Amino acid sequence: MFKLPKIALLSLCAAFGANAASMGIGAPASEAEISGWDIDIRPDGMGLPVGAGTAEQGEPLYEAKCAACHGSFGEGAGRWPVLAGGEDSLAEERPEKTVGSYWPYASTLWDYIHRAMPYPQPQSLSDDEVYKITAYVLYLNDIVDYDFELNQDSFKDVVMPNQDSFYVDDRPDVVNTRCFENCADPEAMTIVGTIGGLSPTGHFKEDSGVSASHYADEPEAVESKAVALSEAAERGKGSYDQYCAACHGAGIAGAPKVGDVAGWSGRISQGMATLVEHAINGYQGDAGYMPPKGGFTNLADDVVADAVSYMAESSQ
Amino acid sequence: MGAVADEAAQLTGRDRRDFLRKGMAVATAAVAGAATPALASNKAPNLPEWTKTLGRGVVARPYGRPSDFTDLQRRTVPWLTASPESSISFSPLQDLKGIITPSGLHFERYHGGIPEVNPDDYQLMIHGLVERPLIFTLDDLMRMPSVTEIRFIECPANGGMEWKGAQMEALQFTHGMVSCSEWTGVRLSTLLAEVGVKPEGKWILAEGSDAAGMSRSIPMDKALDDALICYAQNGEPLRPEQGFPVRLMNPGWEGNTSVKWLRRLEVGDQPWYHREETSKYTDLMPDGRSRKFTFVQETNSVVTNPCPENPIKQKGFIEIEGLAWSGRGTIKAVDLSFDGGVTWQQAEVKGLALPKALTRFGFKTQWNGEPWLIQSRAIDETGYVQPTLAQLREARGTNTIYHKNSIHTWNVHANGEVTNVQIT
Repeated sequence: MFKLPKIALLSLCAAFGANAASMGIGAPASEAEISGWDIDIRPDGMGLPVGAGTAEQGEPLYEAKCAACHGSFGEGAGRWPVLAGGEDSLAEERPEKTVGSYWPYASTLWDYIHRAMPYPQPQSLSDDEVYKITAYVLYLNDIVDYDFELNQDSFKDVVMPNQDSFYVDDRPDVVNTRCFENCADPEAMTIVGTIGGLSPTGHFKEDSGVSASHYADEPEAVESKAVALSEAAERGKGSYDQYCAACHGAGIAGAPKVGDVAGWSGRISQGMATLVEHAINGYQGDAGYMPPKGGFTNLADDVVADAVSYMAESSQ
Repeated sequence: MGAVADEAAQLTGRDRRDFLRKGMAVATAAVAGAATPALASNKAPNLPEWTKTLGRGVVARPYGRPSDFTDLQRRTVPWLTASPESSISFSPLQDLKGIITPSGLHFERYHGGIPEVNPDDYQLMIHGLVERPLIFTLDDLMRMPSVTEIRFIECPANGGMEWKGAQMEALQFTHGMVSCSEWTGVRLSTLLAEVGVKPEGKWILAEGSDAAGMSRSIPMDKALDDALICYAQNGEPLRPEQGFPVRLMNPGWEGNTSVKWLRRLEVGDQPWYHREETSKYTDLMPDGRSRKFTFVQETNSVVTNPCPENPIKQKGFIEIEGLAWSGRGTIKAVDLSFDGGVTWQQAEVKGLALPKALTRFGFKTQWNGEPWLIQSRAIDETGYVQPTLAQLREARGTNTIYHKNSIHTWNVHANGEVTNVQIT
């Protein structure tokens, strides 16, 4: 029989330490490593950094970085989220769930703006900027005054109107029975078909090799235009589809829509060098804000330039 | 609403008209995809072309791909969301057999696009109320004891477009936010034993490394029960769409809790109430109050043959088929009605019936052109019977968006065409 030396047994026990289940796999996480990643904020204020900002200070930031999608008054552009309004609408036929009418905690707003906004540039805002924009969105919802300074302490004074309206899941809430005969009255049945006009059925189409989403875009397809694209523009089409079409395809967030000749002519007249410079470094225009490289800052400059060529040439 | 209505109008004009006019022929053609037309010269007594020449050799396609004669694809509904980086696509349930969803056809849901994570740089940090905050590499995770399980993932918004009325004329869009895979990884409880959870640790924040920093609070009970830290799906590394290289998997719970591209787990004494568990993924009730932490995906089922994409092509024998699933455990039985729920018969549960997994059912019968209002009703191991739509609406109204698991009705017409209807 194989005998394990006693000294080996001892060292095995030592390696397992206090926890008998431990395998000793994984490296200690240092304070510095944790603090770099630990970004979460809780309703009790845990995680909130020291910082401050007023709604007044937040207004220009909001206009520059948020209003293109969420609207100047938080009313939302297109299908982007509405941030303000909707008071007392939650039990109505068409409830409007906004920060003011629905969100239970202000901490959620700070946390989410910090971790995920602006949409194309997550985690790009400083702590003070997040305080300012958070204060402004609260102001848009009449929850704080214009001169209210939101900081790590005053945060605790902010009470969200809908805070007490949430309760823990109490399902199952319906009880069906396993009936086999006479389970419903055929005379009382009303058969209701689909609401006309809303069903995407593109994938029923004969020789339809494209998804429903592509199908819906067909009427505006840029390819149908008789435009001879330069080599750069041809190269840029793929990047456009991947990185730019979200805004420039539909004209969202004030972005000039590809194919919109009137919308592009003034821009193109500034010269391609200017257009490319704005696309690479970002640009605050009258209609909206173009983030540097559309937020995809890891893109090479020439990839952005090619995509700009594609958009401009397709819009002449 | 203007943009939505415009897009819908475009869809209607062409799609619906074409579909209704061409009827079954169109849907039949869709099955064959974009393949070349059939040739009589390939049929008996002639020798088909593929018999008279050598085919491709080994590793002509080192990974392999579906036959060019097939055309299975995820699809999206463009008017649902503002941008494709925060959107949803649907699995083609109408085209799938058995219970496993091919990895490339698993439904997609992102809140900030798909990050391309380099596995060599991958780290999973576990900290908070623990004795030993640790960082695990992908190699570390793969050294640990592994577990492999077949489990479904379902978006709680599956079917949510139909609360107010039938709307989607396709199984892919009424039920395609559910998929089922074989998942491999480490039990979260194993990792928690490594870090040593302090007694006051009751919740875990799970956070992704995507642009949305997707985050959800998970109760410790679930973490210690059956949660998995997954690195493989259907035998191979996770797809980028499914969280490559590592995702959390909470079996039976709403899909967004199974955080993808998982980078961090923080143990705390209370939930975080982040955006995706307050503003979203809470269930608004008729009185204006809302349910929170509605984690479980309750028992659900749907008939997949026939369905709008799979009309009945000929009279005579037909095997009705469908899928059932329950977030609370195993499917015990499935019943079928052909008359809109007046009478019911028990169907056959086919093949594997696993807990928290898609389960296939079948029923052999004859169709002779009579109209059917076909429904399926699943029962799980807890005795829960899938409810009717009327029961759900009575309890929850029509504004809850999530967790619509009611009995679904397909209307089979005399020509074999199938449409989506609701019975009120």
